[in-house]
Amino acid sequence: MAEPIIVGISGGVDSSVTALLLQQQGYDVECVFMKNWDGDDDNCTAEEDYKDALSVCDHLGLPLRSVNFAQDYWDNVFQYFIDEYAAGRTPNPDVLCNREVKFKAFLDYALELGAVKIATGHYAQIREYDDTFQLLKGLDPNKDQSYFLYLLGQDALSKSMFPIGEMDKTDVRKIAETSGLINHAKKDSTGVCFIGEQKFFKDFLKKYIPAQPGLIHTIDGKNCGEHDGLMYYTMGQRKGLGIGGGYGDKEAPWFVADKDLDNNILIVAQGHNHPALYHQSLTANQMHWISGKPPTSLVGIAAKIRYRQADQLCTITDLSHDQIHVQFDTKQFAITPGQSIVFYAGDVCLGGAIIKNRK
Amino acid sequence: MLYFDHSATTPIHPDVLAKMQSVAQEHFGNPSSVHAAGRKSRALIESARRTIAESIHAAPSEVVITGSGTEANNAVLWSLAHTDKKHVITSAVEHPAVLKVLEKLNPFGVTFTALSVDDFGLVNPSDLAKAIQDDTGLISIMMVNNEVGTINPMKDIVSVAQSKNIPIHSDTVQALGKTHLSVKDFEADYFSFSAHKLYGPKGVGFLYKRKGASLNPLIIGGSQESNLRAGTENVPGIVGLAEAVRLATAHLDKRMLHLTELESIFKSELAAANVDVIYNGHPDGRVPGVISASFLGQRSDILLAKLDRENIAVSSGSACGSGSVKPSPVLAAMGISEKQNISTLRISFGRGNSTQEVKTLVSTISNIIHG
Repeated sequence: MAEPIIVGISGGVDSSVTALLLQQQGYDVECVFMKNWDGDDDNCTAEEDYKDALSVCDHLGLPLRSVNFAQDYWDNVFQYFIDEYAAGRTPNPDVLCNREVKFKAFLDYALELGAVKIATGHYAQIREYDDTFQLLKGLDPNKDQSYFLYLLGQDALSKSMFPIGEMDKTDVRKIAETSGLINHAKKDSTGVCFIGEQKFFKDFLKKYIPAQPGLIHTIDGKNCGEHDGLMYYTMGQRKGLGIGGGYGDKEAPWFVADKDLDNNILIVAQGHNHPALYHQSLTANQMHWISGKPPTSLVGIAAKIRYRQADQLCTITDLSHDQIHVQFDTKQFAITPGQSIVFYAGDVCLGGAIIKNRK
Repeated sequence: MLYFDHSATTPIHPDVLAKMQSVAQEHFGNPSSVHAAGRKSRALIESARRTIAESIHAAPSEVVITGSGTEANNAVLWSLAHTDKKHVITSAVEHPAVLKVLEKLNPFGVTFTALSVDDFGLVNPSDLAKAIQDDTGLISIMMVNNEVGTINPMKDIVSVAQSKNIPIHSDTVQALGKTHLSVKDFEADYFSFSAHKLYGPKGVGFLYKRKGASLNPLIIGGSQESNLRAGTENVPGIVGLAEAVRLATAHLDKRMLHLTELESIFKSELAAANVDVIYNGHPDGRVPGVISASFLGQRSDILLAKLDRENIAVSSGSACGSGSVKPSPVLAAMGISEKQNISTLRISFGRGNSTQEVKTLVSTISNIIHG
């Protein structure tokens, strides 16, 4: 029986073109649509996305199956997401979704279906080098998604393909258009997949975590308002603080500088350049190295502390069993506990860790 | 493609298609119009109604055309919103076209008891008798289960209902064309039917409503279907429905025999291929050709995908539940373990299937399982 490449298709243009390219390259291609969220949330676009995926597969003459990983997602991604928010941190569910769902549950499922490899529409590249599978940045600098994939290991990378990783998004859309894919102009998805747009975020979180309103202080300890619950705010956040003019000396906007979790106080600073918003170093834990071992050189590596950030030069000054210390060459704005720091040597993604705190 | 999913839907019978085609091409008049074109369409509908009625031994006035079997169920159940007695007794293995409707009726004061079933999927009529309350206004029990094909003891169930003077409805969508079904054999008040399970078109079905049984229209507007179902009629669909019903009942014995043969070939070939299998549902109180087979140690979604890859169509659970690997609630209600539940395929044969096709199915299943 045939041994197909199984493409994880989302109904978006990237995964659709992924399937198309593999088909054109002569592979035996099958598509699988993953449903990772159950429930009647109005904001969840899964049903519309499935219809788009079905139309694309029908157009290409590819079989489409669908599979439900809602339980895996809930247990291994969502619980963590909620726990982290409840602890006042800002987690990144997408990195975990990749490790636990797309490159674990889905990969296992595809292998059970007899696939030789899986493919997804990520903007990243895989290179085999000295018997090691390397994860490389996607060639399109605006779309590089290696940040979200840093938790992958050798096993997953050896069985995965990212056919659009060497392409520009504009070319991906062009291919989709010339091939008559109905979703060629579909908007890129933004925000957390199960919540939808950012504006729904607060209502969503409220359903799962009781909000504890409290006070907002300036970094000098002056009272300047009330917050709805620390979980709703993230480091460096500007919008939605509800601090009008009149509090500060100047008309500059306010930013979240810190959270005093013990006293349930949100600490804000005025002006984007306020020193309280910048830190030179951080500690991080839950390290993961893609090659299976830590990098040999800890000096002059590059890091991103958020998706789409330009590479920041840094040095890992302390690499212990369960924690690292990272010293940046230049101070970093809004280092956010719970987010991932991802390391690079040139275009090679080395791995990363979860930010614990900053100094 | 080898198609073994006739409980989900069936291909259109060529005779049905021929009739629909000629009507669609030649007779476009609105049946409510008084001119010749309208009268012709009206005549076609009434002739179809007579054909349907004759096939199940009903009176033409007892046949209400609907857009589907689901709609027929809905029409009966939503009528409860207008009545005083709002308690319903149903079974745990009904189609969502009954169970979900009852849940949705909760804000209208409707409550329901879902009777448990035995290991074969049968409702026990004495359980039904015990569940009757003062405010029980309807009993709705399916005649044939869509996943395992078990036939309920309808006559006994109807007797219980009648002895307490409670209206009774049965979802008979999976029964017509696979078992003898004459409304004369039951004094039930309502039966729901669908055309596309009988080699007829999709988007049309009908409700048998015994003379004197009450019904509040679900769809309001014009006076079509004696004010019971508004909307300009789907004339070619109705003609197709009637022909499908006529063929299903006229050729019932022949069709049943064919399905019985295919089923027995399937089972003997599978045994000869040394495939471990457990068959669910009643061993003989079932409609022929609907097989619920558990392949222990396998997962139904994987089997389904691998068969699909070989261009063979079967289903797991009910077709409406596809897209998830969740255990079938019907099998769970029959007390089947989760492990067995998620290893279960429904294979449903039809009039177009041949012995050779069934042998190919078995050898493919055997190859997948034995590697």
